[in-house]
Amino acid sequence: MAATVGPGLVGSLLVGLTYAKSISIVRNIPLIGVNHIEGHLQAVFLEAEQAGSPIEYPALALVASGGHTHLFEMAGPNRYRLMGKTRDDAAGEAYDKVAKLLGFGYPGGPVLDALAPYGDARGLRLTPAKMKGNVLDFSFSGVKTAMLRWSQSHELQDEIDSRRALQRVSHHPSLEQWLAVTPQPTRDAIAAFQHLVVEEMVKRLQSAVEESGARGVVIAGGVACNTGLRQAATERRVGCPVRFATPGLSTDNAAMIGAAAWPKFDRGEFSDLSLRAQPNLILA
Amino acid sequence: MKTAVYTTHNEDETVALGERLAESWPVPVTILLIGDLGAGKTTLAKGLAAGYGGIRPEDVSSPTFPLIHEYGDPTTVYHIDLYRLDTVAEVESLGLDEIFARPAAVFLEWAERFPLLLPKRRIEICISAQFDESENETRRIEIVEVRA
Repeated sequence: MAATVGPGLVGSLLVGLTYAKSISIVRNIPLIGVNHIEGHLQAVFLEAEQAGSPIEYPALALVASGGHTHLFEMAGPNRYRLMGKTRDDAAGEAYDKVAKLLGFGYPGGPVLDALAPYGDARGLRLTPAKMKGNVLDFSFSGVKTAMLRWSQSHELQDEIDSRRALQRVSHHPSLEQWLAVTPQPTRDAIAAFQHLVVEEMVKRLQSAVEESGARGVVIAGGVACNTGLRQAATERRVGCPVRFATPGLSTDNAAMIGAAAWPKFDRGEFSDLSLRAQPNLILA
Repeated sequence: MKTAVYTTHNEDETVALGERLAESWPVPVTILLIGDLGAGKTTLAKGLAAGYGGIRPEDVSSPTFPLIHEYGDPTTVYHIDLYRLDTVAEVESLGLDEIFARPAAVFLEWAERFPLLLPKRRIEICISAQFDESENETRRIEIVEVRA
């Protein structure tokens, strides 16, 4: 019986963990505590093994979602070392907040990803954050603010109103419907935003591969669904094979917790009922 | 009601100000961080977390998605963000009252929209950024001690 112990909201963690403990007692089966972030990663390793092409070590693992942007080096199946993480907004959070300020609703990251190919990234100049200290850390707060300033300095209210009106009549607007209410300058700004965020991730993967001599890269978390990231990381060659979680296993799900629990089961890493929720649990 | 106004000129100064401000109010304390996207709320929270919990500034990131970040064991700092919540019922489900009763420092972003769910004694910090062509990073930080 596996359950998430952290990181996360203590109330949510307690619900799952207490339920898992109850089943573990009643059925008399071992209890395994899982780190949520390890779940995201192990889902990709499980899928790779099932496909008959296991990921080689040392490997790099990027977890990018609404709540996390963490880059790990993995010397082996259970050996994680944190190489970089976001100092402010997570990558997915930047997408969702920019989508909201442009009138695409919240969370609207996937809408921006869908619209980005219809714009010209050269239409808006965005500068990457300068990182003091660890250059493999991430920062997406600056680009979010730049997009806010761009939207405030252009007369966007009418188009933002029409996008909000669209969401009132249609809960899941189609790409064509979104395009109809998104003029070219805004499409260009979205393309520039996507280009910068994707570049920031791909650049760090490239330097981390060089630094660590990694033989495989794993990208997991909701942002692993981003087509811009998938394309850039695959085509631009970060230096070794890149594996993404399939869309169903990218966003939060239960199967990934099972995937992370399986190796622990093999190693006999069981917990007793004193296992507690750890809202600020880290992986490395 | 006591008020004070500060001006900072870059991120490091904002973090340093937060660290100094933490000496002003003993725990338990509830501090509202009020300002638009990109105003510097999380940056000031980094300084406050360093002051209250000895947390490294680079370890404090945005809690928008998880809603609550806890720091320390036992927890000495709660950093809460209600940005993606819309209704009182959603906020109530977080059990904030329980958190306010703990001997900890609690920082809240986007909480001014739910005044009835907040402690009557609290600190409100309004942060605004002055944007111009020179990419100015100047922040105006106004502090109000509320004792309703």
